[in-house]
This record gives sequence, structure tokens and C-alpha cells, in this order.
Amino acid sequence: MKGTTGRIGVVCALLVLVFTIFAWRLIHLQILQHDYFSKLAAQKHLRCQPIPAKRGRILDRNGEELAVNIPVRTVTADGTHIKDPAALAAIAAPFLEMPVEELVGKLSPAVKGKRPYVVIKKEVAEEKAQAMIAAMERARLRGLYLEEDSVRSYPNGEMLCHVLGFVDHSGHGIDGIEKSFNRELSGQDGFRWIEHDRKGLEIVTYRGQEQLPENGSDIRLTIDMGLQAIVENEIESACRQYRPRSASAILVDPQTGEIMAMACRPNFDSNKFNEAKPEEMRNRIITDMYEPGSVFKIVVASAALNEGIVSDRSRIFCENGLFSYGGKTIKDHHKAGDMSLAEILQYSSNIGSAKMSLMMKDQLYYDYVRAFGFGEKSGIPLQGEISGMVNPPRRWDGLTKTRMAFGQSVAVTPIQMIMAMSVVGNGGKLMTPRLVLSRGEGSSPSEMPPNRQVVGEGVSKFISSALQKVVSKEGTAPLAAIDGYVVAGKTGTAQRISAQGGYQDGHYTVSFAGFFPADHPRLVGLVIVDDAPLGEHQNYGGLVAAPVFSKIGARAARYLDIPQENTVAQATASSNQASNR
Amino acid sequence: MKGNRRRATNAIEVDFVARMLVLGFLVGMAALFFVYLKNQQHAVGNKSRLVEQELHEYEARNMALEARITSMTSRGYLQRKLDEGYIQLEAVRDTAVARITPPVSAEPDGVLRTASREPGSGVIAGAPQRILRR
Repeated sequence: MKGTTGRIGVVCALLVLVFTIFAWRLIHLQILQHDYFSKLAAQKHLRCQPIPAKRGRILDRNGEELAVNIPVRTVTADGTHIKDPAALAAIAAPFLEMPVEELVGKLSPAVKGKRPYVVIKKEVAEEKAQAMIAAMERARLRGLYLEEDSVRSYPNGEMLCHVLGFVDHSGHGIDGIEKSFNRELSGQDGFRWIEHDRKGLEIVTYRGQEQLPENGSDIRLTIDMGLQAIVENEIESACRQYRPRSASAILVDPQTGEIMAMACRPNFDSNKFNEAKPEEMRNRIITDMYEPGSVFKIVVASAALNEGIVSDRSRIFCENGLFSYGGKTIKDHHKAGDMSLAEILQYSSNIGSAKMSLMMKDQLYYDYVRAFGFGEKSGIPLQGEISGMVNPPRRWDGLTKTRMAFGQSVAVTPIQMIMAMSVVGNGGKLMTPRLVLSRGEGSSPSEMPPNRQVVGEGVSKFISSALQKVVSKEGTAPLAAIDGYVVAGKTGTAQRISAQGGYQDGHYTVSFAGFFPADHPRLVGLVIVDDAPLGEHQNYGGLVAAPVFSKIGARAARYLDIPQENTVAQATASSNQASNR
Repeated sequence: MKGNRRRATNAIEVDFVARMLVLGFLVGMAALFFVYLKNQQHAVGNKSRLVEQELHEYEARNMALEARITSMTSRGYLQRKLDEGYIQLEAVRDTAVARITPPVSAEPDGVLRTASREPGSGVIAGAPQRILRR
């Protein structure tokens, strides 16, 4: 009996010992080494899954899509899940559009090195990626996984490329609106902590902290693609006809400063930006400066009139076409004696303009040039804008003042020039060029106040009426006329500046800046054709740039359904008759 | 002796045993129910993951198709198709145009005029012509 009790005691003691060991081990694992094992488990099963934010679209003013996202997949391999790389490659290779041997070559090192993450191919089309996964499931194979990604697409290709810009492979804006508004377009990526099983599938029950992505805002531009297509089409035709080094055209609403169309040549395809040459990627409207030539005469004329130095009745002696000043001779194409202010603009008199500048004090004249926006950035929301070059009076030599009067010794950008012409068209206000109408859904387009009042409304009206004569048969730009509309504008012909200093013989930058309908301008346009290989007597703003302006203007007027001047008069007369009855 | 043996016998407490059995049964059932619920939770989670994945695939496919539609209706693409002769333009009859501005007389050179509607009316402002597919 005693022996039995002893044996029972020993068994019990052994059991207690075993269970004590078990209990101790349990305490050791669960409590003492809790942190270590939880970390180990988390490393194996827990991961932070990124939820990429969708990049915002870029739209034109009517909602036409200019930059969109195409969802694609990045195919990755988990070497620890692949047993037979050859079998997997045979199934997946056709969907990935790569030879089986190449795929085996990528999979085998991952399997041998037990690497859990190897990128196999990027930018695989959504449908092909899904079809590949389905084929793998049918063959009961695993090891290839899909990650979300997207590529930026510009449906219109080359059209508006300098404004839209492009993004790099990681989706960051590199140029144009894509760069300027990268923060708004990008949004904020989200994330989710997930646990997955040994097959790599998420265990939804154990889904952890989650932050949803904040998608990027859509950017609505002021650009009207209907007008943009017209401008692109005409500038392309001009390039085919004249074969210039470069050409630019821009249309602006003078009342609001909204840029309606903007095109440069040479250009590039935003979808294939890596194939573009640097000179094709320059938005010459903001990055290039040129001597504007006679278009700049509007500045001295407006300034002199606004200051009361000349009046609409003043007559200036234009030396019958030859004026010696500071040891140099200034010539006029149209030789005349006395000319009124309107005639100086109409016949583009260099002498008349130079004499007007001489009537003004240096500082006052300089202040007006700056007030028109020259020598400072216009504020367009695009990267790479330059200020142009306007020297202050202390750096002028004896000739600078008279040369500036007809657009030499001063360098401007096309955007500055068109905004200056808008001053004449909108009653004397300098507007900030506007390229973005609204950002994000629900944001309404807000009006942008004028930058400053440069000249009085009366002055701008007078200059406008003088510029109408420029586009008459007696003026320098009859070819800029648009049937049914009164056009006001000014031609510019300037010799190209040589890199070695001085001017290049036989090389010209010709331009025409104008607006219509002259009384209530809806559009201001600027066309610049740079260094077209034409004869000296053919390469004038009035002969080369003005016809391009006319074609753009005629098509734009039809597109916008701008009532013709005679139609407006008829409609007004008929409404008056009706009210009299 | 008999009396002693009777005293040494432990009486079965039926009530207690029954209570324990019921309790055990209830605890067992609760545990089974817990396991069942846990399984259901996993099954539903798995189902929701599949639904999420399906939804995501549809969304991605939809986006891909939208991008394709955008590309195939872009100005550049339509112009190319127009040049190649796959589509043609047909003028909108004057009687079919609702005008909001004074009418413009047709030009003698046969140049087409534009139709114009208010922006935001659901029609692209100034859409000039109707596109017909051959």
C-alpha cells in the first residue's frame, strides 16, 4: 500500500514538473519574449500597403481632358513562393510580352536567393495583368503579384505641350502646369496596415490602421482647345510656308488676362518627352526674349499722350525720312514731313517715335516702359519665365532712348508684349496673364483684379483708333484685316541680335500684335515668326506675321461666334426701330 | 460492517452533476459558437477582400477604357481620322441652330459658320460641326 502511494506520488511529481516546465515555457514565450516574437510575426505577416493617390486631371476651360491617368500594373515576383520558375515563366511570359528565357532569367535568381520582392516588369496594361493572374490560377501556380501604378497620358500629343509639360517616371511634374501645380495635382498617398497569410493574401479580419488617399485636384485651364487647335493649325501652316527657326502665337482675352491659346514651334510630344530635343521643349513665349521692333511704338505713343506731352492734334516733324541724332541716322520707310500721332503709328515712323521719346524725361519714359510690364516677370504660372531686359536710364548711352522708341535696345518676351497690347485693348489696365481657371471640384473661377492702371481709358481708345489705321490699306498691315471685323494692331520687324554683338544681316524676327473687334476687343493676338529664310524685302511683320494673325482671327471669330460689326449695327438698328414702333 | 460500507459510499449529487453538465455544455457551445463566428468573420473578410479586389479591377478597367475613349476622341486623333477619310464633317443646317447671338450671314466662299451655345448647357460651346462615321 505504501509502495503504491509512493509510485503515485512520483508520477504526480513528474506530471507537476512537466506541466511546470510547459507553463514556464508558455510564460517565457508569451510574456517574457512577447515583444521579440510579436516583431518577428509582424515582419513575416504584417505590412504597410500603400494606397496611391490618383493624380488630378488637367482640363481645358470647357472640360476637355488634356492630361489623364491610365492605370497600369507593376508585376513583382516573390522568390519564396515560386517552386518551378520555368513553368511559371511559360505561363506568364506571353502576357508580359517577353521571351520565356528572359523571364526565367529574372525569376531564377529570385528563387535561388529566396528574395521576396523582385520587380519583373513595369507599366503592364491592366487587362493583360489580370489575364496573367487568371492563367496562373488555372495552372495552380503562384509567385507573381501585381502592384497598382498609373502612367500619365496626353491625348492630344503635341498640342499644348509647352503649357502642359510632362511628368517623370515616378509621376512628379517636370515641366509646364504639371510642375507648377505638382502639389495640387499629386494629392496625398494613403496607407493600410494589413496582415497576410502564407499565400500572401490579406487577412481582412486583422486589418489595421488605415488612411485613405487624398486624390489630386483637377486643374481647369483658361485654354480653349477649339482656339488652341486653330492656333496650332495656322502656326504649323506658317512654319511649312516660311520655314522659320521658330514661331509662336498666343491669344488672350484682354478684359480678364485669360490665355485662350498658346503655341510654339518647334514643339514635342508630351507622351514621348524623352525623345524631345532641348530646343523643342522651350516655351519660347516665356523663355525667349527678342527685340520687338515697331510694336513697341505703342509704349512711347501711349506714354507721351498720357503725360500730355503730345495730343491727338500734335504734329511732329519727321524730317522727310532721315534724321541724324547722336552721330547716327534714323530712317523712315514712309518719308514724310509733319505727321500726327495717329500717322506716326499708321506709317510706323521711327523718327516720329524717337522724337516723342526725346520730349520725355528719361526717368519718366523708363517708368512707363516698366509700367507696361517690361523688365519684370508677367506672373504667368509657368516655370522658367524670364524678365526680359530693360536697362535703367543710368545705363543708357546717347542713342538708347531713341532706339527704345522703335523697339531696339530693349528685349521683351512674347507674353510681356501681348499683355502690353492688351493694355491698349482693355482701357489702359495691365492684367496678370491667367492660365488656370479653377483648381479642384467645387472651386469656382474667380476674377483676377488688374495689376495696375497704366494709361487712361481715353488714351487707350485713341491709340486703339490709331492702330485700326495700321490695318487699313494705307497702313503697314492690311494683310492682318479680318472680313467683317475692325482690327487694330501693330507690326514689328527687328533684326536678330548676334551672339557676337551687333545684329545679324538678313536675319529678322517679325511679328504682329493686334486685337478685334477694335471697339470691344474679345481677343488680343500675337504672332512671331523668327528668322524665316526670306528675301530682305519679303521679311516684314506686315507680310509674314500679319496674314497668320488674320487667318487665326477669322477662324477664331467664327468659332466664338463673335457678331460681325455690320451685323451688330443691323441688330441695333432693327431693335431701335422695334422700340420706336 | 455493512453500516460502515454504506457510510463510506459517496452519494452522487445529481443536481450538482446536472448543473455542471449544463454549464459545461453551455461553455462548450459558447466556445463552438465563438469558433463558428471567428470562421464566419474570416469567411466574410475573405469575401469582402474578393469583392474589394473585383471592384478595384472594375474601377481600373473603367479608368483604362475612359483613357482610351479620351484618346480616341481627342482632337489630334479625330483630325488624323478625318485626314485619312475614316470620318467626315457635315454642316449643321441653319434651321437646326438655336442662336443666342445675332445671326451672321453665310459667307459667299462657302466657309462654314459655327453653332454656339451657352457654356455649361451640356454642349461644348462653339462645337462647329457634327461628326459622322462612315
